[in-house]
Amino acid sequence: MLTVVTGGSGSGKSEYAENTAVRLAKEEGLPLYYIATMRPFGEEGKRRVERHRKLRAGKGFETIECYVNLENQELPERGVVLLECLSNLTANEMFETEGAGEGTEERVLSGVKALLEKSAHLVIVTNDIFSDGITYDEVTALYQERLGHINRELAFLADQVAEVVCGIPLQLKSKGSK
Amino acid sequence: MILIIGGAFQGKKEYAKKTFGLKEEEFVDGACCGEEELCQAKAVFHLHEFVRRNLKEGRDIGGMAERILQKNPSVILLCNELGSGVVPVEAFDREWREATGRLCCRLAAEAEEVHRVVCGIGMVIKHG
Repeated sequence: MLTVVTGGSGSGKSEYAENTAVRLAKEEGLPLYYIATMRPFGEEGKRRVERHRKLRAGKGFETIECYVNLENQELPERGVVLLECLSNLTANEMFETEGAGEGTEERVLSGVKALLEKSAHLVIVTNDIFSDGITYDEVTALYQERLGHINRELAFLADQVAEVVCGIPLQLKSKGSK
Repeated sequence: MILIIGGAFQGKKEYAKKTFGLKEEEFVDGACCGEEELCQAKAVFHLHEFVRRNLKEGRDIGGMAERILQKNPSVILLCNELGSGVVPVEAFDREWREATGRLCCRLAAEAEEVHRVVCGIGMVIKHG
């Protein structure tokens, strides 16, 4: 089962996604994996990673770091996987030297599909970076376009899509609905 | 406490007036009011600007949600959603939008109702 969780910055989407993954793992007695995609650059980056670590502490996640090439990521066992987040993974593939560059969309999507095959449940956190109305430089606009396309593709595949607003999940798509 | 959120220029204040029978003079402007004033107001708009000013002036906003709830438990708060854009270049802007988002999460958790206004249309996303 695939669940996609979206929302803006500071919306509480991570906490919601974590709780969803924890609940699924508990219900079925499955191991719980957290795939971290954000490289902790600088002081602010380290603080962000630390904040997320604290949020996850004691919830039973085994953390796996994967910055590019998700398709090759192996899991110790079949379990519940929380992938956080697509906006970082997409940026890594687009901008890092070992990233996919022009092939970013294909590599992110094939990576997620491969991960879905290896998971009992996959919960993906992505990011709403589309609603500030500002026209950005060409590279940033291309990043927005690529992430927007990836989000749409995955939402189409997903059994559930939730947008989190102020910590409140709004169900945009549930199993059975189109 | 009731929280009303939404993007800029979505008609949050008009919606609040209609829905809760508020008059213009019953609103306090978060862009220029002090915390004392905010904690006595019937309704507050521009809460995100209140956060911005307090951060700029180096005040600790960590316990702000709790203070508002304690001192003014029936206030109606209007706040812009700021988080749905590209990560801002300026560190202060990043801090501001995150602090506003986290404040809204804490307020929403305690709120009797949360309304989200899009194109002037309000949706109750947390019911009392």
